[in-house]
Amino acid sequence: MTTTSERLHRAGDGVSDPIVEVRNASVTYDDGDTHVLDDVTFSIERNEILGVVGESGSGKSMLASALLDAVPAPGHLSGEVLYHPDRDATVDILEFSDAELNEYRWAEVSMVFQGAMSSFNPTMKVGAHFSDTLKAHDRAVSEGLEFAREILSDLYLEPERVLDSYPHELSGGMQQRALIALSLILEPEVLVMDEPTAALDLLMQRSILLLLEEIKEKYDVTMVFITHDLPLVASLADRMAVMYAFELVEAGPRDQIIGDSAHPYTRALLNSTPNIDAPLEDMQPIPGKSPAPVNVPTGCSYADRCPLASDTCRRQDPTFEAVREGHAVACHHWERASEEIKLTFGEAAATGGDAGGDPR
Amino acid sequence: MSRARDTAADSDGDAPLISVNDLEVHFETEQGLLEMFDDPDVVRAVDGVSVDIGENDVLALVGESGCGKTTLGKTIIGLQEPTGGSIAYRGRDIWETKAGNTDLSFDDIRSSLQIIHQDPGSSLNPNRRIVETLSEPIRLTHPDISAGERRSRIYSLLERVGMTPPRDFASRYPHQLSGGEKQRVALARALLMNPDVILADEAISALDVSLRVEMMDLMLDLQEEFDTSFVFISHDLSNARYFAAHGNGRIGVMYLGNLVEVGPPDRLISDPKHPYTEVLRWATPNLALDASEAGDPPMRKIDIPDPVNPPSGCRFHTRCPEARTACTREQPELRTLEDGHRAACFRSESDHRYWESDPIED
Repeated sequence: MTTTSERLHRAGDGVSDPIVEVRNASVTYDDGDTHVLDDVTFSIERNEILGVVGESGSGKSMLASALLDAVPAPGHLSGEVLYHPDRDATVDILEFSDAELNEYRWAEVSMVFQGAMSSFNPTMKVGAHFSDTLKAHDRAVSEGLEFAREILSDLYLEPERVLDSYPHELSGGMQQRALIALSLILEPEVLVMDEPTAALDLLMQRSILLLLEEIKEKYDVTMVFITHDLPLVASLADRMAVMYAFELVEAGPRDQIIGDSAHPYTRALLNSTPNIDAPLEDMQPIPGKSPAPVNVPTGCSYADRCPLASDTCRRQDPTFEAVREGHAVACHHWERASEEIKLTFGEAAATGGDAGGDPR
Repeated sequence: MSRARDTAADSDGDAPLISVNDLEVHFETEQGLLEMFDDPDVVRAVDGVSVDIGENDVLALVGESGCGKTTLGKTIIGLQEPTGGSIAYRGRDIWETKAGNTDLSFDDIRSSLQIIHQDPGSSLNPNRRIVETLSEPIRLTHPDISAGERRSRIYSLLERVGMTPPRDFASRYPHQLSGGEKQRVALARALLMNPDVILADEAISALDVSLRVEMMDLMLDLQEEFDTSFVFISHDLSNARYFAAHGNGRIGVMYLGNLVEVGPPDRLISDPKHPYTEVLRWATPNLALDASEAGDPPMRKIDIPDPVNPPSGCRFHTRCPEARTACTREQPELRTLEDGHRAACFRSESDHRYWESDPIED
């Protein structure tokens, strides 16, 4: 058991009422030789939307799996994943029996995966997925389906038509929304979404994001939105966490991560993103590539690509430092980052933006 | 530049590289046994599209899934036969050429028009080393080139697309490359043919956000170096803007098979003339903090209508916030507004009867 005061003292991450706490979580393969999640500690505030950003192979999907103790074998998850059903209760889900885990998944913490096509069984109607889920969790089917209809119409779908369709009869955007409805059918406290909109066009992505915000307000659900697409999640999240090479490198309120990020990688990521209002000549790719899980360098894993890297960075892994209350960064030189790596879109926004840009 | 080309091509008869005229591509849905006496459903993937592509040009096509941008792209490079209208390469109709009715050979046209697919993983043969994948097109088109020369050509091209050391990369299998590297191989393969036009069909969508600018820069460098034109398909307006602005090209907005707005990227984005372009602009994430909180979408429905029975009149009228009853009856034409900026909306005609008709209520 952890007391509230202990939590507050330790956190410094601006989270006062965490619903899930992850402490020193690591996922290893090959008897500990390969780290695909490296000592990650963070908390999810009750009723917030947390955006987790990382590139392919940064370990962000492992983080999602860790929240449900669903790391694919033979991976080994160590550390603690604490779930607080309410303010004063704490359970460690890694200690759960199989039966407890079954109840925890979907009913307490539910997950939406990328690519709805592969999450639905193509030979079953969408409605059957809902009733099967209700039966598997010993819920009343007719009441459950009534609730399903409500969520479906909240997501701007026609409930009867969708429930009576096979997955292939729906468009990609409709499938993905039906999948979100399915994940909410047992009224979970936390919804973890791993690239829930990646296969969709921007217009549908953006529409779904708007609906998620409404769903969050209506059903009081905490959301974790995991994606490689920083600008997308920036429009939705309250707080953001940035992952690089299987580690968490920065976490804080959305406005600070976007407007005043302290980690050189976050700043480079922001500058590499084509932005509709930024001057065109200022977009810069990040040189080099991220390390593989087997030979993560000693010291800071971003050092090889970082313009601020010094000998200290190559020798010693940086620990988390508080930039300000609620905003933490793992970098030796974060104080110099804002001076030496200018954010390109910020100035554009300040001056009203030059949407045109000059041809090169 | 592209503006000047558009008009020049029309006036002095100097045929543009690619000329698309009133193009139609309609697909009939498959018929089951029980439906064999009914008329088949027709999907109007592309309907009445006209556009020209010049030398060293960029046309960025944007629109949501199912708007016909890929079908239009594939028709432009001669992979898809149109069901109506015409598509000409340097003044010769591509499909007439295939039938042997012009002075060009179809093989020449085919090798001048290349494609890079969305998913780099499935566009490379997993059982072949990169060098084998890249040798094949040279062997087919230039059987007299020696193996040594073939290799040196491949190495220099790999080096050019940023894959160094080329010897090392050439001997790898596709699974030993990252997504970005696979896409570079696909680009190198397209460039082997020294093409006039490359269709990049969502070529950067599968890449990490941070790699997209790098890949676009590479394609733009090659555009200058090899004098290649690009048809760049994307659902992301900010990528389309980046690519079209740097490539001195245009953005074309598609909706349910129609081209609804075409123009230079700066003007199309800062002053969109079609309500659907406004919708796409709304959908594009913006990092500037005050703009990042999205308001309500400037449209009435989230889902795109069924392309089998597209709405009457202006196809966007079922979702358009500005729609009036006039929009349900008549389809607006793509009209030239200013130099190079064209839009298909009654709202750009100040004396249209749209202004007297009643707004549509849902």
